[in-house]
Amino acid sequence: MKTIADHLFDILENSVNAKSSKVIVKISFNNNLFCCQIIDNGIPTILENITDPFVTSRKTRKVGLGLPLLKATAESTGGYLNLALSCKGRGTRLEFVVNMKHIDARPFGDLSSVFSDILRSWREVDFELFINKSNEVNGNKILDTAELKKSLGINTLDDNEILDYVKKHVKEELINIGIDNQFGIMLN
Amino acid sequence: MKNLEELKQIREKVRKNLEMRSGDFGVKIIVCLGTCGIAAGARQTMNKLADLVAQSNRSDIVISTTGCAGFCEQEPMIKVQEKGKEPVTYGHVDVAAAEEIFNKHVLKGQIVEKYLFSKGE
Repeated sequence: MKTIADHLFDILENSVNAKSSKVIVKISFNNNLFCCQIIDNGIPTILENITDPFVTSRKTRKVGLGLPLLKATAESTGGYLNLALSCKGRGTRLEFVVNMKHIDARPFGDLSSVFSDILRSWREVDFELFINKSNEVNGNKILDTAELKKSLGINTLDDNEILDYVKKHVKEELINIGIDNQFGIMLN
Repeated sequence: MKNLEELKQIREKVRKNLEMRSGDFGVKIIVCLGTCGIAAGARQTMNKLADLVAQSNRSDIVISTTGCAGFCEQEPMIKVQEKGKEPVTYGHVDVAAAEEIFNKHVLKGQIVEKYLFSKGE
């Protein structure tokens, strides 16, 4: 994938395909390290050797490239990817770290567009986004689609007005922690 | 997370948009959004199509997404399904191609041979 944004969208699709009803994304960016956690409540089919491209839950073919490609992207910069069952027994917790200062780092791309795209593509799944500034244990909740639906009194958020609003809002918050479309900006 | 005033304004606009949408679809555009599609730029294709639908002011065009179709070399791929007609699948649909296909096929019903991949299911 050309950008971290494309990877993130691709991996979120895994959570959706595993029949998650709620997916939580936590992002932080400190010392050029981009760390992302994805916690879902889907039903994982296989976890063993899941980052092997020839291990996949897909039925029509024997190759699944999403996780292996993300792992390669993370590791090519000295980062890592971890995937494990969530402690509650249902759902998985995925964490990946990318060193954006590494010469082989992919650019961020438009991370905010990931969040409008997921709402456009998967209307029934709810997402939460937390952004963690440095030295904080728990991040700030930036987006809660279930709450947003309630506030607006509607069932799906795939209206262009709302998607533009979400994208703009997420973009502002990402800039606040130094995430731009390239490799991040130095904050004081 | 959000300020109340902004939300209220959005809510009004959304209500108006929802009222415009009819229940049935006239044209369905299905975008392949599997790993191969994403790597080939299908998200940009999908967003371009969404913008074009919004500009067209037609309430019977629906965009939905699906996974990999198995022809990864052809990505980004889209399927245009006009109501009552057999679906048409296009390959190598970048942003420019998406606009051409939208204007010619989705709006006017003319198949665009240049990007045609297959007809029928």
